[in-house]
Amino acid sequence: MARINPKFTTELQSYGAFDTNACYNCGNCTAVCSLSDEDNSFPRKMVRYSVLGLENEIQTSLEPWLCYYCGDCSATCPREAEPGELMMSLRRYLTSKYDWTGLSGMLYKSLSTSVIAFVLLAVGVIWFASSLNFEPELLLHYGHYFEMSAIGSVFLLILLPNLIRMWNMVIRKPKVNVSFSAYLKSYSELIVHMFTQKRTLGCDDSQTRWFQHLILVIGYLSLLFTTVFLDWFATDSSFILVLGYLESAVIFSVTFIFMIGRLSKKTQVSKNSHPSDWFFVIWLFLMGLSAFVVRLFIDLDILETNIWMYLIHLTVLVQWAIIIVPFGKWTHFLYRSFAMYFEKLKSLSIS
Amino acid sequence: MKKKIGVYVCHCGGNISDYVDVEKVRAEIEKDESVFLSKTTMFACADSNQKDMVTDIAEKQLDGAVVASCSPTLHLLTFSAVAERAGLNKYNYIHANIREQASWAHSDDKVGATEKAIQIVKAAVAKVKRSNALEPFRVAATNAVAVVGAGIAGLRSAIQLAESGAQVYLIEREFFVGGRVAQWDDLFVSKETGKELITRLYDKAMNHKNITLFTGAEIIENSGSVGNISLKVKIAPRHMKLDCNEGNLGKAIEVCPVVVPDKFNFNITTRKAIYHNFPGEYPQLPVIDIENCTRCGECEKVCENVDFSQKDEFLNIKVGSVLLATGFDPYEPKNDEFGYKTIDNVVTLPQFKRLVHYCDDKLVYKGKEVKNVAYIYCVGSRQVDGDNKYCSRYCCTATIHAAITAKKKYKDLYNFHFNRGIRTYGKQEVLYDESSRLGDIYLQSFEDHPPVVSKEGDKTIVTINDILTADKTLEVEADLVVLVTGMVPRQDNSIGSLLKIPRGRDNFFNEIHMKLRPVETVIDGVTIAGASQGPKNIMESMNSSLAAATKSFSLIASGELSLSPTIAKIDVDNCGWCGKCDDACPFSALTKTDVNGKLVAAVNESVCKGCGMCMPVCPSNAIELIGYTDNQIESMIDALVSTD
Ligand SMILES: Cc1cc2nc3c(=O)[nH]c(=O)nc-3n(C[C@H](O)[C@H](O)[C@H](O)COP(=O)(O)OP(=O)(O)OC[C@H]3O[C@@H](n4cnc5c(N)ncnc54)[C@H](O)[C@@H]3O)c2cc1C
Ligand code: SF4
Ligand code: SF4
Ligand code: SF4
Ligand code: SF4
Repeated sequence: MARINPKFTTELQSYGAFDTNACYNCGNCTAVCSLSDEDNSFPRKMVRYSVLGLENEIQTSLEPWLCYYCGDCSATCPREAEPGELMMSLRRYLTSKYDWTGLSGMLYKSLSTSVIAFVLLAVGVIWFASSLNFEPELLLHYGHYFEMSAIGSVFLLILLPNLIRMWNMVIRKPKVNVSFSAYLKSYSELIVHMFTQKRTLGCDDSQTRWFQHLILVIGYLSLLFTTVFLDWFATDSSFILVLGYLESAVIFSVTFIFMIGRLSKKTQVSKNSHPSDWFFVIWLFLMGLSAFVVRLFIDLDILETNIWMYLIHLTVLVQWAIIIVPFGKWTHFLYRSFAMYFEKLKSLSIS
Repeated sequence: MKKKIGVYVCHCGGNISDYVDVEKVRAEIEKDESVFLSKTTMFACADSNQKDMVTDIAEKQLDGAVVASCSPTLHLLTFSAVAERAGLNKYNYIHANIREQASWAHSDDKVGATEKAIQIVKAAVAKVKRSNALEPFRVAATNAVAVVGAGIAGLRSAIQLAESGAQVYLIEREFFVGGRVAQWDDLFVSKETGKELITRLYDKAMNHKNITLFTGAEIIENSGSVGNISLKVKIAPRHMKLDCNEGNLGKAIEVCPVVVPDKFNFNITTRKAIYHNFPGEYPQLPVIDIENCTRCGECEKVCENVDFSQKDEFLNIKVGSVLLATGFDPYEPKNDEFGYKTIDNVVTLPQFKRLVHYCDDKLVYKGKEVKNVAYIYCVGSRQVDGDNKYCSRYCCTATIHAAITAKKKYKDLYNFHFNRGIRTYGKQEVLYDESSRLGDIYLQSFEDHPPVVSKEGDKTIVTINDILTADKTLEVEADLVVLVTGMVPRQDNSIGSLLKIPRGRDNFFNEIHMKLRPVETVIDGVTIAGASQGPKNIMESMNSSLAAATKSFSLIASGELSLSPTIAKIDVDNCGWCGKCDDACPFSALTKTDVNGKLVAAVNESVCKGCGMCMPVCPSNAIELIGYTDNQIESMIDALVSTD
């Protein structure tokens, strides 16, 4: 027995959903979705849950993560209920439900909160830099130090607890009976999806999009590795040097293409951009570009006289690592992969 | 007996001649000396043959004609028309069916088929020898129509008839006109309220000199037949003098001690025994509800217009046709049907409409503010177990419209529609769209698994297995449950019984043919309009009103009616009035009359349909059916069984 809550759609709208109520349950969206199948039928089911405000059902659902937003459903919906955008909004909603700090929800729901958070961090970085008298060497040193500790602490304090909460919502609470061996057996599912996002290939006509994403993921992860562990900014190896240049160039060019796409709104995916989508691409772009320029300044030996450039890079980096990675769209990448994993567990469950 | 008969035997391409030797048939028939001309033809119905027949009949002065061809349902009218074009009375044409009855039925026996065809044609010739030219009966028709019921359908029909030139008696049983529509304020699709529509029609009707309105009036007797119908109308008094003084009247209403549930508001409010329906009602004259009035006389003391001396009046009117527009009743749910009358916050849709009308900024029922409204659809319609199998048509739209009205009128109101598939057909679909965009929630169940209304503590819960959510059990806590009651026929069918109007399976008045004759009844001269015929919204009621008015008017328009001459005829010498024929006649066409001191049966020519039911029951064989006399039928039987 579930009680209907008509007020829920208003809440969902603050995550970006549109005219979900217009849905008259024709099911065209599910029929046209190339990722929906018998075991996981969507998006109509999720539209229905949302209209009825069945929060419990939504929170135990993995379907929102199984959608890769090709937009076919929205293009087909005779009522313009934008089911694809609803799936996207549900991902934001779920992200904020998984997040134990509650910050995710606040940032998604309010643009001004996000802006204030970005500004505060920027002020913090400058204040910190001034306390170091804008000493380039010290700044680069602490910058590198920050990168390393941010990776560890964001993962341990935010992402890991949130993943456990996700597991709790979709596996433990609904009493899905999973054997220990199933956890081990399905592990490969997680790794493959995390690195290849190969499910996108299931969407019709999105080979290019998948390829761009793949390059971006590889570029991003390897740049992370190159700067943090190979210490790109301080390296003497010309191999690492060139590698870093390449990676950062890949990141800012691919994100540039994405931004143009979002601006021209040609495809369904980019028709409705939420501020969080913009933050994600812009900051990724800025990361790639600023890293590239900083290294260039180092190579041209002008960084010492132009330390503002490094400050920009550091600000972008801090904002990225403290806002977007733990609370923003970056987490979708993580939850998606885990959703595939949990989905596999569910299918192996002993009922 | 005729001497110059023409016979045409048709090949029907080969349909007949492949099995029946048509040449032999022709040769056999030709032997009859009354047969002046006999021919075979490839296609009797072909234009060329029809022309030849006309020439033959006219030039050779034939006095009777027979075509031996296919079934009369196919071509009887064709060849009767040929006869008439040639100047031969159409009752002197007889049709013989040798295709369905001979060639097709006996394709395995050509000799037998031919023999049978010969006998059939002989029988037709025998009949045509004895047939007579007949002319239709003409009866004078009174140029007046009684319109029964002054709801929206009755008002619209009355105006249409008056504008066409007929006298109209508009007979309304209630003391106020407008029927149900006067009870609705906002209406779906149109922007005008029910009251505004009624005001418009009322003004138009009252300004037309041809319309006479009677309120508190009922037909209690009826006699005669189409063209000349006599009606007796009983008119109940209002117990008020005309030209009321509003001020004193207000006082009279105030002092009246009798308080009764107000039917106009479906009993959600009360009124006094002296009452108005609503401000600005029509006619704008109050009434004393004499059934509930205790004659205490309090009102008389303050208002000089009260008049207890008024009595029932009786009026005899004569009309050519009657148009019934007596409307419908809302379905009254059974006790405990979805908690009706057992759970305190369950109302019907008509009650809800009145409630929304009366509540201004907050929707309040029984002292409690309403936030969640649950509508349960198809109550009393599309019944699985009950008799009402039909869909009431208006209610999906009316409910959604009422829900939108309430949603827009009150803050934070939520609507939940427990339906069985929404039927907002045609232009009404925009309302469904609007309501879902406003956030109304639709839940659907199958007929065998309706929602359940129950009480949990002081809360009312509606539960459903929603087929749109994979049959999941869902519940809503409702502050008000609205039962979407359908339309049923008027509980009081006195007028239907009086006029002998047949009712359909749904118990509404029945038309002759659902598609082709949708506003006529089998009772000649009586037409039906509006929701008396079955569930209709206003637009559909108007369509049928205009059709019925036109049909009623067409009966009386020329001042004369022409009726079929093939009816029963009484042989006064043989009849001794035993009354058996009267018992057998399904149309009450026979009456007892006195002819020169002798009691005999008489046939009402405009009522008799020529069905022949009376003939076999008459013990003294005093009844003949014109066009099918004993003499004609016996001669046909003789011809069929003769062996020469
Ligand atoms: C809750 C509800 C909401 C509705 N909302 C809408 C709407 O928004 N839009 C719309 O198009 N339709 C609506 N309808 C339908 C509309 O009410 C009908 O189409 C309309 O009332 C039919 O008109 P009528 O004249 O045939 O019948 P009625 O309105 O029933 O009128 C019949 C009249 O005949 C009189 N009468 C009955 N018997 C006798 C007798 N024996 N002698 C003399 N007089 C008699 C009655 O007193 C009455 O005045 C609604 C119906 C309901 C129940
Ligand atoms: S956006 Fe694409 S993948 Fe997502 S639900 Fe719609 S059709 Fe399916
Ligand atoms: S296509 Fe649109 S209207 Fe149809 S079920 Fe999907 S969301 Fe609803
Ligand atoms: S119109 Fe709608 S509520 Fe009324 S009987 Fe038909 S389906 Fe049921
Ligand atoms: S023929 Fe039929 S309708 Fe006419 S009087 Fe006889 S029984 Fe009645």
